[in-house]
Amino acid sequence: MRRHRSILCWVVLVAVGGFTRAQIPLTTAEGFAVPQPGKVFSFPRDHGSHPEFKLEWWYVTGHLYAESESKAARRFGFQATFFRQAAPDKSTQLHLAHMAILDVRTGKFFHQERLNRAGWDAAAATETLDVRQGNWSLRLSDPAAPAGTERIELRGGIQAEAALALTLSPAKPLVVFGENSVSRKGSAPTAASYYLTFSRLRAEGELTLGAEKLAVRGEAWMDHEISSSQLDTNQVGWDWVSIQFTDGRELMVYQLRTRGGGTDPASTLTWVDAAGQPVKQKFSWEVLDTWKSPATGAVYPVRVAIATTDPASGAAVRYTLEPLAREQELAGSVGGIAYWEGACRVRDAAGREVGSAYMELTGYAAELKL
Amino acid sequence: MNVPVLSLLLRRFSLRHARLAPRATALLVGILALGVAVFVSIRLANRAAVSSFTHFTDTLTGQSDFIVQAPAGTLPESVLSEMRTALGARPVHIIPVVEATAARAQAPGEAAGFGRTSYTLLGVDLLSLANLASQSKVERSYFNQNQDLGAGSRAAQNPDAGPDAFWRAFNAGPQVWVSAAFAPSVPKSLDLVLDERVRTLTVAGVIPTAREAPRVPPTLLILDLPHLQTLTGKIGRVDRVEFLLEPGPRADERRDELKAILETLGGERWLVTTPGAQRESAETMTRAFRLNLTILSLIALLVGLYLIFQALDGAVVRRRTEIAILRSLGVEERAIQIAWLTEAAVLGIVGGALGVGLGWAGAQVAVRAVGQTVNALYYSSTVDAASLDLSEFALGLVVGLVASLIAGWWPARLAARTPPAQVLPRGVAPAAGGRWQRSFALGAGCVALGVALAQLPPLRLDGAGRFPLAGYAAAFCWIFGGGLMCGWLLPLLARAARGLGHTWAPARVALSHLRRPSGRHRLSVAALHCAVGMAAGMAILVASFELTVRGWIVRSLQADLYIASAGAQSASTDNFVSAAAADRLAAHPAVVAAAKLTALRISLDGIPTMLTGTDLALMRARSEMPWVKPPDDPALWEVTRNAGLALVSEAFSERFRKKAGDVLRVPTPAGVKVLTIAGIYADYGNERGSIMVDRAHLTKWLGDDRVTNVSLWLKPGFEADALREELRREFPGLAIFTNAKLRGEVLRIFRQTFAITYALEVIAVLVAVIGLALTLTSVLLDRREELTTLRALGFTRRELAGAAALEGGVVAGAAVAGGLTLSVALGWLLIYVINKQSFGWTLGFALPWGQLAALAAAVIGTGIAVSYFVGRWGADLPADREE
Repeated sequence: MRRHRSILCWVVLVAVGGFTRAQIPLTTAEGFAVPQPGKVFSFPRDHGSHPEFKLEWWYVTGHLYAESESKAARRFGFQATFFRQAAPDKSTQLHLAHMAILDVRTGKFFHQERLNRAGWDAAAATETLDVRQGNWSLRLSDPAAPAGTERIELRGGIQAEAALALTLSPAKPLVVFGENSVSRKGSAPTAASYYLTFSRLRAEGELTLGAEKLAVRGEAWMDHEISSSQLDTNQVGWDWVSIQFTDGRELMVYQLRTRGGGTDPASTLTWVDAAGQPVKQKFSWEVLDTWKSPATGAVYPVRVAIATTDPASGAAVRYTLEPLAREQELAGSVGGIAYWEGACRVRDAAGREVGSAYMELTGYAAELKL
Repeated sequence: MNVPVLSLLLRRFSLRHARLAPRATALLVGILALGVAVFVSIRLANRAAVSSFTHFTDTLTGQSDFIVQAPAGTLPESVLSEMRTALGARPVHIIPVVEATAARAQAPGEAAGFGRTSYTLLGVDLLSLANLASQSKVERSYFNQNQDLGAGSRAAQNPDAGPDAFWRAFNAGPQVWVSAAFAPSVPKSLDLVLDERVRTLTVAGVIPTAREAPRVPPTLLILDLPHLQTLTGKIGRVDRVEFLLEPGPRADERRDELKAILETLGGERWLVTTPGAQRESAETMTRAFRLNLTILSLIALLVGLYLIFQALDGAVVRRRTEIAILRSLGVEERAIQIAWLTEAAVLGIVGGALGVGLGWAGAQVAVRAVGQTVNALYYSSTVDAASLDLSEFALGLVVGLVASLIAGWWPARLAARTPPAQVLPRGVAPAAGGRWQRSFALGAGCVALGVALAQLPPLRLDGAGRFPLAGYAAAFCWIFGGGLMCGWLLPLLARAARGLGHTWAPARVALSHLRRPSGRHRLSVAALHCAVGMAAGMAILVASFELTVRGWIVRSLQADLYIASAGAQSASTDNFVSAAAADRLAAHPAVVAAAKLTALRISLDGIPTMLTGTDLALMRARSEMPWVKPPDDPALWEVTRNAGLALVSEAFSERFRKKAGDVLRVPTPAGVKVLTIAGIYADYGNERGSIMVDRAHLTKWLGDDRVTNVSLWLKPGFEADALREELRREFPGLAIFTNAKLRGEVLRIFRQTFAITYALEVIAVLVAVIGLALTLTSVLLDRREELTTLRALGFTRRELAGAAALEGGVVAGAAVAGGLTLSVALGWLLIYVINKQSFGWTLGFALPWGQLAALAAAVIGTGIAVSYFVGRWGADLPADREE
């Protein structure tokens, strides 16, 4: 009987295993790896590149303040993104990188894009965080540093007009978004990612604008996302927001838009509490104002309201995101992907400023295929 | 100065004459225009040839800030990471470039030979090219052009413009992008010879450029860097690395910093230059050649100057009575002088303007000839048209104006000094020109000065260029002095032809004039003498050159077959034959010996030259080296003992001022090698000079066994032509020449480089013959009364025409006699001073008797014929009509 039970168990296990495998294949049709539930991450290796997956990005956004003698600190927003995309035949990789700096006082938005094939001028290490593209780089200064004491060095700039040299150190532990290590992006079993985030990094360093060198401090957010398919075929793009509240909590939301104006059920809002624990909540998204890009003609919803529930108090909350400047579009002149990625101010329903955000709006210039 | 008087003078006096004799005026304008045209066309052609030294990358990336190149050979790709690391976060684009040349493949049935379209293949990373700021103005991407060749489309709005389109293009294998000049009929593919292989390369599309970017030359082909590296066997290697600062403030400071970093990092491994410096070095390289052409182009203008002087002078004499009346009416000397100078100036401006137009047209022809020479001797140029801008137009006008003012100065003074009518003696024409014109001593003095000048060394230009300034001054002295002296030939010839006068009355008439030649006769002789002298001198130079080169190739080309890549079309291309193919050629059963030669372009002390390697022992055994300074160290012929020895060509020795026994520090891919010059040989194929070492060592330094050309000696009983056919079938990418064919090709290219020089000389002779006609016309006009008298005495028109023909013939004869003497002197000067100083080639001396005789006969014959017709026209001249 025991034996029978064990056989039964075995049968059930095989059946469940088979079922699971049918649900989440190991590879995509092209042969790229698919994120698997239960993945155990090890660092610094998993900060590095995963070339067996088709897509990967390291995404740093943040808000900087120049230390100045005058009372009102000068405010800046920045974005530094390193993308990796494998060749369809997996023979090599392409590296795409974007860098943007917003000078809030003048409203001037500096940005530059780069595309290179992997090689001497663009690379991503597999053993630790070390991605480079030309003179831009994002690397862990000491790969052996234990969790919580990491120092991430970001070097970059916009042509020779502006430059960033920042040291980023985690103020909170690393967050793994999604269920059981997998962040779902759609109903297709392959539409998923590993989604690792430093939701709050202390940023410190130097910002050069023209002939001006400024010592800056502030806070940053870093995503590292690994996948082989980011969008279902019926999805046209996504809206993504990261909010860093002044109370020490964060909120991340992505909304996957489907053809015909709907929203994919995989869209998710996650709170990160003061201890770094993610908590999912339902949400609604309301467009308050749009901006039409003169460069691409795309119409972006640059002012939005997000309504959700505060898991700490259980109260319904509504936050308004106001762009610090409307012109924060990356036109896709090199990589062919145009999107809006902008620094925002966050206000609560009473109009009080409660945090800073970065909002990403994709698929408005043309349908996205990733 | 009374302005109304001057304007009245100009209208009623100068303009009236111009209207009365429109043909004479037109002729003068024409001569001046021709002189200016020759000058302008050579200038434009020169300029176009120089500007055609395009740093090709500029058309893609905009001008880079620095270029890094190995002093010899290529650089490994590993330097790129090293450079990026050294530059850290500094915003600089690093652009590795591979450049190659390829010739259009020979069509079936097309004869082997040089001169097929040669392409420059540029390999750059087409993907990262889009990162450059300059590319944001480019209207379409490299990829997915298949649908719309010709029409532009914005990359960003094209969903296919991203990575996928790139992968499709990349995985399709080597493809080329071509100049928009091909549009609208962009070929589907191009057959190219790269090294020894024929390749069919798909045309992926048109090279995208910004609207205001420089035009992409039609011979430029773009490939993705890895594709070209594979095609040329330069896997993991790059020919140069270009650096572009990202736009932004403090550019100068950042540029200096970049330079310092690159120089420190490179050490002896590479040279850091700029596109500007490279262009300058190309300009320096061709400076002597261009200066020589410019000087030659001025000769037609000089001859034209003589003629204008003469024509204006004649006009002064003819209008003497009129001027005398004006003077007696109280018109000031100054007013008359200004009126004449104004007339000369108007001629100058009209002639100059016409000349510029004509010169532009001529430049379109000249530019090809200049371009071919530059290609053959210096670097790959892509020139196909010469353009005219405002400054060149103005220069043409100024040259015309200055020439006519110089020529008009003396006649204007003469006119101003005409005494008033009351004291003007009737019938006595004053001498044209000054007393100095008749001075034999001045002529002799000039010649002597020329002899002294010819002994002086050349002027050293920067970049190892030399310009024989003193040599040209000597030539001018001889032309001028000879011109004065050969006027004295006229009475001598007249006396010698005395016998003719006894039997034929018209001869007596003609000879009487020649016994006391007028200034006009002397001028005409001088002009014609100058033209004949220069043309014959050039013929002597070319003949001597040809004789020398012929001797050189007969001695140095003794193998039966010569084989090189068909991609190699000129001195400036580098296409190789792979070691495997060369070995297969050498191993052919018909071959008894094979000599491989490898040539590498290097930069010695920043000056481009060649490093070649050949089997010295085999060369000594199989062919006769044309020694300038034979080596006396027997170690040179033994591979085991000649590692530190080198031979250099004569041109090298002149350029770098090195002699046998001197030590050279020669850069090679394996570092700097210290070589002692063991001997100097003659090489007329390469003006840049070359260093020759034993190929065994060069191969080691290069790290590969590529071959530039192979010479094969056949076993007895084998036919060179038959083997050539066999090898051509086996190696369609090789250019295979039999001995006779190669000799023919060398001489053809050689003659082609002199084509433009010949053209210039022919124009000068033409101008001088027109001048002779002009002289006789004005002489006959002067003698109007005499002619009427002779007619009244019963001379027929034919007899008077005959007299003129004799007069013209003797003038031409004197000019030819003087001109040929001058030509021998100029020939000597060109060969032993000017050419030796400019190019460093020692030549033998040869007199092309046939050519000289033909030139003499042509000039005298044309002179007689032209004079005959002028005489016939003169015989009918009424005694009292104006002009």
